[in-house]
Amino acid sequence: MRPLHQAAPWDGANPGARSLVDALLDEQRQLTAVEAFARAHERHEITEPHYRKLLPASAPRPGEQYAFEVDLDKCSGCQACVTACHSLNGLDDGEAWREVGTLFGEATMPCETGGNRVVPLQQTVTTACHHCVEPGCLEGCPVLAYDKDPLTGIVRHLDDQCIGCSYCILKCPYDVPKYSEARGIVRKCDLCHGRLAAGEAPACVQACPNEAIRISVVCVTDVVSTFRSASVEAGVKVGRCESVTASSSLSDSLTFSPAPVWLPDSPSPRITLPTTRYVSKKPAADLRAADHSLPKPQHPHWPLILMLVLTQAGIGGLLASRFVGTKSLPLELVSLAFLFAGLTASVFHLGQPLKAWRVWLGWRTSWLSREAMALNAFAGAATVAVAARWLPPLTNYYLLITLSLAAAALGAVFAQAMVYADTHRAFWSLRHTAPRFFGCVLLLGPALALALQPTAPIALALLLATLLKLGCELAVLKHADSDSDRWTQLRRTAALQTDALRPVFSVRLLAALVGGVFIPFTIATGTASSALAMSAFAVCLLGELAERYLFFTSVAPDKMPV
Amino acid sequence: MSTTLSTQGREGAKARSHEELCASAPSRLGVESSPPANTLFRQWTGPLTADLVRAPGEFGLGQVPARLKPDATTTMVCGFCSTGCGLNVHLKDGQAVNLSATSDYPVNLGMACPKGWEALTPLAAPDRATTPLLRNPATGKLEPTDWDHAMQVFTLKFKAIMDQHGPESVAFLSTGQICTEEMAFLGALWKFGMGALHCDSNTRQCMATSAVAYKQSFGFDAPPFTYADFEESDVLVFVGANPCVAHPIMWQRVLRNRRNPEIIVLDPRATETALAATQHLPLAPKSDLALLYGVAHLLIQNGWVDKEFLAAHTNGFAEFAEFVREFTPDAVAAQSGLTVGQIYRLAESVKPGKRVSFWWTMGVNQGHESTRTAQAVINLALLGGHIGKPGTGANSITGQCNAMGSRLFANVTSLLGGHDFANPEHRKKIATTLNIPESVIPMKPSLAYDQILQGVADGKIKGLWVIATNPSHSWIGKGRDGYGDTAFDTLLAKLDFLVVQDMYHTTDTALRADLVLPAAGWGEKEGTLINSERRIGLVKKVSRAPGEALADFHIFRLIAHYWGCGAMFTEWTSPEAVFQILKRCSAGQPCDITGIEDYRMLDREGGVQWPLSKEQYSVFSNQCSVGESAPERPSSLKTEHCLLNTSSRSERRLFADGQFFTPDRKAKFLFDLPREAADKPCEEFPFILLTGRGTSAQWHTLTRTGKSDILRQLAPSELLLELNPDDARRLRLRAGDTARVASRRGELTARVHVTATVRPGQVYLPMHDAATNRLTFPAFDPHSRQPSYKFCAVSVHRTDKETRR
Repeated sequence: MRPLHQAAPWDGANPGARSLVDALLDEQRQLTAVEAFARAHERHEITEPHYRKLLPASAPRPGEQYAFEVDLDKCSGCQACVTACHSLNGLDDGEAWREVGTLFGEATMPCETGGNRVVPLQQTVTTACHHCVEPGCLEGCPVLAYDKDPLTGIVRHLDDQCIGCSYCILKCPYDVPKYSEARGIVRKCDLCHGRLAAGEAPACVQACPNEAIRISVVCVTDVVSTFRSASVEAGVKVGRCESVTASSSLSDSLTFSPAPVWLPDSPSPRITLPTTRYVSKKPAADLRAADHSLPKPQHPHWPLILMLVLTQAGIGGLLASRFVGTKSLPLELVSLAFLFAGLTASVFHLGQPLKAWRVWLGWRTSWLSREAMALNAFAGAATVAVAARWLPPLTNYYLLITLSLAAAALGAVFAQAMVYADTHRAFWSLRHTAPRFFGCVLLLGPALALALQPTAPIALALLLATLLKLGCELAVLKHADSDSDRWTQLRRTAALQTDALRPVFSVRLLAALVGGVFIPFTIATGTASSALAMSAFAVCLLGELAERYLFFTSVAPDKMPV
Repeated sequence: MSTTLSTQGREGAKARSHEELCASAPSRLGVESSPPANTLFRQWTGPLTADLVRAPGEFGLGQVPARLKPDATTTMVCGFCSTGCGLNVHLKDGQAVNLSATSDYPVNLGMACPKGWEALTPLAAPDRATTPLLRNPATGKLEPTDWDHAMQVFTLKFKAIMDQHGPESVAFLSTGQICTEEMAFLGALWKFGMGALHCDSNTRQCMATSAVAYKQSFGFDAPPFTYADFEESDVLVFVGANPCVAHPIMWQRVLRNRRNPEIIVLDPRATETALAATQHLPLAPKSDLALLYGVAHLLIQNGWVDKEFLAAHTNGFAEFAEFVREFTPDAVAAQSGLTVGQIYRLAESVKPGKRVSFWWTMGVNQGHESTRTAQAVINLALLGGHIGKPGTGANSITGQCNAMGSRLFANVTSLLGGHDFANPEHRKKIATTLNIPESVIPMKPSLAYDQILQGVADGKIKGLWVIATNPSHSWIGKGRDGYGDTAFDTLLAKLDFLVVQDMYHTTDTALRADLVLPAAGWGEKEGTLINSERRIGLVKKVSRAPGEALADFHIFRLIAHYWGCGAMFTEWTSPEAVFQILKRCSAGQPCDITGIEDYRMLDREGGVQWPLSKEQYSVFSNQCSVGESAPERPSSLKTEHCLLNTSSRSERRLFADGQFFTPDRKAKFLFDLPREAADKPCEEFPFILLTGRGTSAQWHTLTRTGKSDILRQLAPSELLLELNPDDARRLRLRAGDTARVASRRGELTARVHVTATVRPGQVYLPMHDAATNRLTFPAFDPHSRQPSYKFCAVSVHRTDKETRR
């Protein structure tokens, strides 16, 4: 071992031998910690962990599962949990499975001099995966890439099964799964299951300087009854945590007075039944996230925009082709082309397209699986319907084929709408999604037909469809103006469409008025030019793309505080 | 308990989730069964899954990412803040691959804040300086050169300036972020070797006040506490301190306090700490001095003082009592905006009888009368006799990881080892110790930071050497009129020669340099740091510096050689050799560390607090023979060697005997009438701007923390202006709007964050954005010359865009 005292081997008196710069550069390149301080790596024993009291005594029994428990009174917002999760789990740059947000508010307190005074409130909140009783991610996954461990209740993600469709991100109310561009899959918190199995605490529990995070065992029926009971409303809830008294050998008392059953200004726990318990001795207060009134446009998901609009155009065109008489072949072929183009576009949404063939696996619970199956069924039916004209035995069943095609279309578009409705976001509820999706079919079908056969009845159908659809779309704007302090999801959506997304909204409106109202009206009243009809379709398609862009970007789900 | 366990359902769950926690936990919580085999339809394992596999890390680490499993570990002290946490560096082939917090380090007990967890990441940043860079006069660009050329240019330029304009025409601005041995080398090289005089460091911006306050009151710059005092107090008073964000691991120690303490926070803002406190006194900005005098008034008036302690161990009590007579509760209430009741309750809380500790940091230190304010805190501790006992003290929480090393050993304001340049005996002692002629030790004090920059503005300072600090970002009042009519941006251009020595060639200051010297960073070199509680901790070399970057220590060696004064530093060959020199310098001083053997002892003991003289060392050694068990420390803190391994020795405080370091061994009451802050609000600039730390994930000018993706995510992505809801309504500003904030010196735009944590009439900006200091007002405390970052008048307006809306 080289003593640290010893200088770089450089002889100042004999400068010819070696330059000091070289000697120092050499010395700089030596790593000496192991050599000089051998003590640490001789010790292999695990010292008694400080976090023992933050772990439950035993594994869950049937009907129970592991859960995070956060003492809000101890969370000081230092965010060590986030960085420890990142480091101790070896995550990618910028990746962490825990987040810390802040809620703000004011409370009125009695003043010593009489009267009341307003005092500021602030609550930092650490959150991770809630390992829900009914995990939205798991139910939505089309390829069964999630597994809720029957013994521990830990919701694990199977990274090698994932196709990177990101539907779990939309399904999780808490924005827990995170997509990795580099890997083409999502990853999420696994409650450090291996650490727990070895009697070690998860990274965040180990790293919280204030012991604000612990692992507890919760009774599943308890979670269900807490969050599904009638008294629990979405939004701010005041309730009573179970009063639990710890034995006196625990240094800090675990008796909790009334506390929020769930966090204010965050997604409703009724959707997926999160198991994390947030406890506090402070009185419940009306706290808000800093960005409560600050909606931000969401990701547009271009492949999904294209997939939805093009498949719906194709479906509309194929349905329309059944009504335009015998010269329908060009319309059928063009519609099929749109349909398959849309199906192709969906592949670009996937991080792991080669694994996409498993997409039907989740059909029992996943509307995405069902959508994929229904769309492919429709595509099959449509191909048969088009091919029927060359297949003599089938030509006699025109009505039957039309009816099955209509049924398949209904099923496919309904499944498409349900994919979004099932995320429990207000703007994506069936009430808002169904008119858009079915309306798109009813609008682009005639528009496509018109482009190929500019006739007055088709023009009128287009005009009617446009007006109906536009009416449904604009209905959401009635939520925009409100004097209330509280922002609902739909108010945020309306605010986004009229403010940050106003240019797109204007394009959408203009396109509908020109392509769906003005041109069809002109055609219906006499001027039937093929070029005009084509342009009507083009403008309508643009309008629908803009509508779908707004559909994705102006959705404003409740979210955990940032 | 087993009976409660037998019940299923709701009742059973209650019992299990909590009651059982106190039972001894089994070693395994469930079985980690191997995953099911892959099938055609379900892939349970594969390459993507393998990326996240964790494996036992050994070395007491628990599980770690399998691909980062270490083959050795070593503990070193963190290089960000002054808490001085022990970090367990995971090594593979001698190279750091990961780190975690050290559980048996007496400071942090297994915890770290985000900066500590990410300490290795900034070393790998792509903008590290890898070769010396010299500005090409033809192109105006910084271009790579070699060390030999860089050193020749360095010496040539500085010598030319000094020859032409005298030794007082050059200066250096250093840091609290490099190792003690490096600071000592720099200070000795500059003053003794190169014959220059003026130098200061960024510790002027954070700690100068505490140093001066302690020196004047106690006779030596001696923060008296140990972190155990956080746990031992009955009453903790935080003055201008927000440990939840600025020192999270100290807050951890507060929460470990089992005495159900009263926690009192004096802060204009309802900070995270204030909101977690039992009393928050939201005093008007810069009314702290009057308020503290008012509390003293009440203590004295009510006889809530420790008369015996005052008589035996203090000077000036009578004068102080007379002085504070006019600080009546009514007068102080009017000034501070607090109620008489609040002030009375505060005074009652700190009266004798309980263990009361006072803790201050930048809210006090960065003020226009900060030294007297710090001393007003010290006075309160003296009044109650709250010093020298567990859970007491007038305690300054330091800012930077080695501010304390800088204060004692940087050879800047005090001669090596806390000595006095003006004292002939001290000069003689150091000259003898270093074996240098006494004549090379200057008697004159150096200019302070602000005076050096004023010298630049006046054309008196022509050459400047900036080491590991970033004044282009951090200096106060950078806007117009900061120095006469000079804004900081143009100030540095007045220099003939600007050298920046830094890890990165991209810092705001390095971009303006004529010569950039690439430095190795924390983790790439050896040395010691001294934390807030006077604990000397070790930094080790666990990562290779990129390219030709050299440790600051090596750079100073090179400069000594090229300057031609290498002969003076023949003994200064390695950091540990210099540590031995510094030990000798400290002999007989209050900061005597002659009892510390070497780096290995520091490593073994988990750092050692000063003082540890040879005498103390031998007392401790005699008291316990090697191998004896250590009853006072929990088993988790066991160390192989038992010299200091009892908490009474590893966590030591000063003044237990009431003997201070003044000539008469008594502490002094020091006080002055409060003065109003200069940059007062007016109609045009109606708001008071407060500044400070943003989040625990940000460090100062972000040159390091800005390099970590994860740390960047933990901080706001844009500059946020905290604004009270009432003011926001009045200005018709909503959360998320863009506001224009202007002072008499400059302006900036910021995103509005509406929060009642700032009071009406006040706004808050984090210091981590370079724009913030365009607004601040360059006022300085007359004793410490510390800048007053926390008070200036600003206006807030909607931007044109918002006005249109």
